[in-house]
Amino acid sequence: MQTRHSSPGVSRRQLLIGGASLLGYFTFAGPTFAWTQAFKGTPLHQRFMQLSGLLINHHLDEGAGLRIGAFAAQKYAQLDQHIDSIVAIAEQQGATEVEQFFDAIPEGELRDLAYWVIAAWYSGSSSADADAELFTYEHALTFQTTLDIVPIPSFGLTGPNAWNRPPAPLLPVPRF
Amino acid sequence: MMIRRLSRVMAALAWLAAPLPLLAQTTANDADDETLARGAYLATASDCTACHTAHGGESMAGGLRIASPVGEIVATNITPSTSHGIGNYSEEQFARVLRHGIRADGANLYPAMPYTAYARMSDEDIHALYVYFMHGVAPVDVPTPPTKLPFPMNLRVAMKGWNLLFHDATPLEEDPEQSAAWNRGRYLVEGPTHCSSCHTPRGFMMQELDDQAMAGAQVGPWYAPNITPDDVGGIGSWRHDELVTYLRTGKLDQAQAAGSMAEAITHSFQHLSDDDLSAIATYIEALPPIGPSDGEERQGDRFSHGRPSDELVNFRGDSYAEGLEGESRGAQIYSANCASCHQPDGRGTADGYYPRLFENGILGDENASNLIATILYGVERETEAEGHVFMPPFGEQPNAFNALSNDEIADLSNYLLTHFGRVDENGKASVEVTADDVQTIREGGPGSPLILLSRIGMGVGIVAVVLLGYWLLRRRRAAKR
Amino acid sequence: MTQTASADVVIVGTGVVGVVVAEQLLDAGFSVLMLDAGPRVSRAEIVENFRNLPLGLKGSASSSYPPKPWAPHPMPSTGNPEDDYLQLEGPDAYAQTYIRYAGGSTWHWAGTCWRLTPDDMRLNSLYGVGRDWAFDYATLDPYYNLAEYSLGICGPSDPALQWPPQPRSRPYPMPHLPFSPGEDKFTRVMKEKLGYTNVPVAQARNSGMPYDDRPACCANNNCVPVCPIGAKYDAATALNRLEAKGAVILSNAVAHRIETGEGNRIEAVHYLDPERQSHRVTGNHFVVACNAIETPKLLLMSADSRNPNGIANSSDQVGRNMMDHPQLALTLTLDEPYWLGQGPVVNSGIMETSQGDFRAEHAGAYFRMNNFARNRYETFNALKTGKVGRALDEEIRRRTACTVNVVAAHEILPDPNNRLTLSANKDWLGLPKPHIYYDVGDYTRRSAEVYSMPIARRIAEAMGATEVKEPSAFAQSKHLMGSTIMGTDPANSVVDPDCRAYDHANLFLPGGGAMPSTACGNSTITMVALAFKAAEALIDQARRA
Repeated sequence: MQTRHSSPGVSRRQLLIGGASLLGYFTFAGPTFAWTQAFKGTPLHQRFMQLSGLLINHHLDEGAGLRIGAFAAQKYAQLDQHIDSIVAIAEQQGATEVEQFFDAIPEGELRDLAYWVIAAWYSGSSSADADAELFTYEHALTFQTTLDIVPIPSFGLTGPNAWNRPPAPLLPVPRF
Repeated sequence: MMIRRLSRVMAALAWLAAPLPLLAQTTANDADDETLARGAYLATASDCTACHTAHGGESMAGGLRIASPVGEIVATNITPSTSHGIGNYSEEQFARVLRHGIRADGANLYPAMPYTAYARMSDEDIHALYVYFMHGVAPVDVPTPPTKLPFPMNLRVAMKGWNLLFHDATPLEEDPEQSAAWNRGRYLVEGPTHCSSCHTPRGFMMQELDDQAMAGAQVGPWYAPNITPDDVGGIGSWRHDELVTYLRTGKLDQAQAAGSMAEAITHSFQHLSDDDLSAIATYIEALPPIGPSDGEERQGDRFSHGRPSDELVNFRGDSYAEGLEGESRGAQIYSANCASCHQPDGRGTADGYYPRLFENGILGDENASNLIATILYGVERETEAEGHVFMPPFGEQPNAFNALSNDEIADLSNYLLTHFGRVDENGKASVEVTADDVQTIREGGPGSPLILLSRIGMGVGIVAVVLLGYWLLRRRRAAKR
Repeated sequence: MTQTASADVVIVGTGVVGVVVAEQLLDAGFSVLMLDAGPRVSRAEIVENFRNLPLGLKGSASSSYPPKPWAPHPMPSTGNPEDDYLQLEGPDAYAQTYIRYAGGSTWHWAGTCWRLTPDDMRLNSLYGVGRDWAFDYATLDPYYNLAEYSLGICGPSDPALQWPPQPRSRPYPMPHLPFSPGEDKFTRVMKEKLGYTNVPVAQARNSGMPYDDRPACCANNNCVPVCPIGAKYDAATALNRLEAKGAVILSNAVAHRIETGEGNRIEAVHYLDPERQSHRVTGNHFVVACNAIETPKLLLMSADSRNPNGIANSSDQVGRNMMDHPQLALTLTLDEPYWLGQGPVVNSGIMETSQGDFRAEHAGAYFRMNNFARNRYETFNALKTGKVGRALDEEIRRRTACTVNVVAAHEILPDPNNRLTLSANKDWLGLPKPHIYYDVGDYTRRSAEVYSMPIARRIAEAMGATEVKEPSAFAQSKHLMGSTIMGTDPANSVVDPDCRAYDHANLFLPGGGAMPSTACGNSTITMVALAFKAAEALIDQARRA
């Protein structure tokens, strides 16, 4: 595996001047490509995507999943077992949608992991903090919930001066 | 529909008639309104202004400087100024320019002036053009600097031999076997709109190869693509109305005009009548289909490749500098410079204004010149239908969005070609761009043998002069920026 | 120390003011050398910096611009005030955001271009408060026109929608940008329920067409922190053009001392490079345009035997009268979707509330509904509900659609006690950090009590707010003004009506620092108008010399 170190002065983490503590993140020093490759294609990666598919019933970007999964594997020492437990609960309930089994996940580590996975997919970030790890911007699911009318900031919405149109209804949420 | 068409024609006439007040001051018998309007329309169809009006300059007053490796060519003043324009030309002298490429003083024109096409026009139309230029264009008494080229490029006489060999000065004749639309289309295409000047490949002596008509050719930094109706090599998949729309707007989901074609649409095609654009499409659709120039058997035309995709996983969340050093350098350059409009996965905006990049001719073509040239020079088109379309350049211009290096453009191009172009079963792009390729386009296009020939000297003077003319013709619009 | 370079005119600062002055000088045939403390970067890099930020930081204007060690600028607080660049004191925090990058802080401005009104320039005569300008609106008008055509400012052609309300001497070069659905609704509700006219913002953004060889706005809603395509004017878009015209631009060059000579003329500017080496740059004329914090800081740092209180400071007004547009932002939850986020981030506003006889008693205010796409602010709020599946999708969508920010931006009066001094706390180069005492003052506070917040509450009610979050303190607008104040009396002002320093015939200090009143609208267009006026005076003076 290729290993590299972020060069001084250019690391994204240094963009996050807001008191970002690097402690705990040293595992991820270096470009994404390097640290995700070890996780890519492993059984755990596949299991993580399976878990994600149960928790979020939308199209999930493979690349974003790789980033979130690789991070989760570092963050949760027992990721493997936890995934087994959550998947078992879903299977027990015969669930194909998150609503059918989420409440059955016991409070505590399992529930925390499950919700962290959901939050990571929707926000594209490891937390709401200024020093959070970013997994994806373009594929963060929050934007998908409103993409019929709201742009992902920094990506153009329409041709020049063509954006004024009737407001979209609040519901239903577009399929994504 | 008919009303719309009529209104288009009226709009075109109104546009063309802008200089008409001059008419009131002239008493020329032959300058009747109808002839004048016809002449104006033909001047638009012929896109005279593309070369003979400098940016920000007076209409048809020349002065546009066209850089060449052997010196600057200056487009001439063709207003009816008697001191500095063509005001003293008789109709016969005027016709000799268009039909034979010979000026009033007897000197031969370089074929930068596409008289080889204009020669096919009818006597009536050349008369109308004469009337328009004498009475519909405002005289501008301002000289243009003389074009001074070094020996042997200054041997205009060499063109005489070339004309003898390759130039057909006879007006086109109606083909009774074909429809009126086809005949009108052929007349426009072979005559005033001079499509073949760019789209037809040339032989050793820079003559157009008739058996390869419209099969695609390099035009300075741009590549005028195959526009024959071939299902693989050409535009056989385009519907008739799509071709008309393209000529009117320069824009389809699968193809957008840039470079010289954008200028031709801005100044010329968009102003033609619906009937004439339809006629052009009719003729183009009936051309002999010609397959890809590489002769390769394959499925799908250049508008059928690629799909939305990205490589964001390899750099998003890292720093930009890391992204540029990483595995997905081309993708990082794309994201930072292109994705804001063309979207992260190349899908374009939902309204289609910013084009999708997959299933787009620029990326599915067997020639990457247009891709590189678009990045280096940007896109600019202005039409009534679509407004002022502008993609910023990424070359060395003061307004370049980002002055990308040859390496960066090569990496970007290869990313685009891999994701949105034609790939083999292993996902390898069929066209690859190197930094040298980018440098070539940066310098104005692939290998004009001009410089070498000029060094060899007089022995190849004829070829050199013709080459220069050819080169200039192809370069002229690109050089205007 | 090395003698690095020389030019007819040396300009410190490559922000919008420096750039505008530079181009005028270049076009008039003068040689120009520009210094900027910060790095010269590509737009591509900043765009990617933004995208690489975690969602929780996407709302930060400065996080996409990491400061270089030698050119620190304000960043989100570390929690340890000692470490912050701005050393703040007083009842209110002058916690501004600006960046020290080549191209300056227009990199992350919204592009809003409200002109002053004639009344805004005569507060003392009309209302007995603050200071009058040294000249009237008619004097400024032609320079406003120049600013609008130079930057490419779009605006409404309908006189009823124009601000200020009096007839324009020249139309805007481009039509105003269309409203988002939420802005349409806001405009309608304000008119129907409160009688206010929400007018299109005049803004330095290409509207429906390319302008200045830059593309048209494509509604990517990212004006702050960076326009990804350069459709918004920012001074960085002009740097290559200036160089093509012959300007020399030195980035990573931290001006730290202005040197005076005989007759108290400015002789040179000294700058430090990232290796901490000092260089000397000479010229015939000097322009310092670093913003209303960095300019007074440099003037004060340059104190010498001729100017013991600092350069240009015989009046003792350098660094005083620090002003801004103190703002109060309400977050509303509405019972109907407004759908913000299409088009620019600030696109309309109610300006009429900034004017009136009440200004004898308290400040006016300008109200606007920001048009930022809301996902970045609401996603974590939605996640806090613990919802999953369709309920979560709907929660995010509802919050994105039905929450808005309504901002009241106030004027403030010049107060000499609001003062920038040099902190004992030093930066990486050993230069003093700016220390700023700030109190928005009773005039502005009274407005919040009796005027602006009552209006804001009526606005919230009219919009159908089911939840209103009111701010607990004034926030800053990043509109730095007043610290090198203009006036006709050298005893109480730093610069003359052409932004020329009273103490130094060959030193010009154009920009927000010169503004003696703030009004309520964003200051950049007025700073640019002053830049054109100063450039004209400078050229005239240089030609006569």
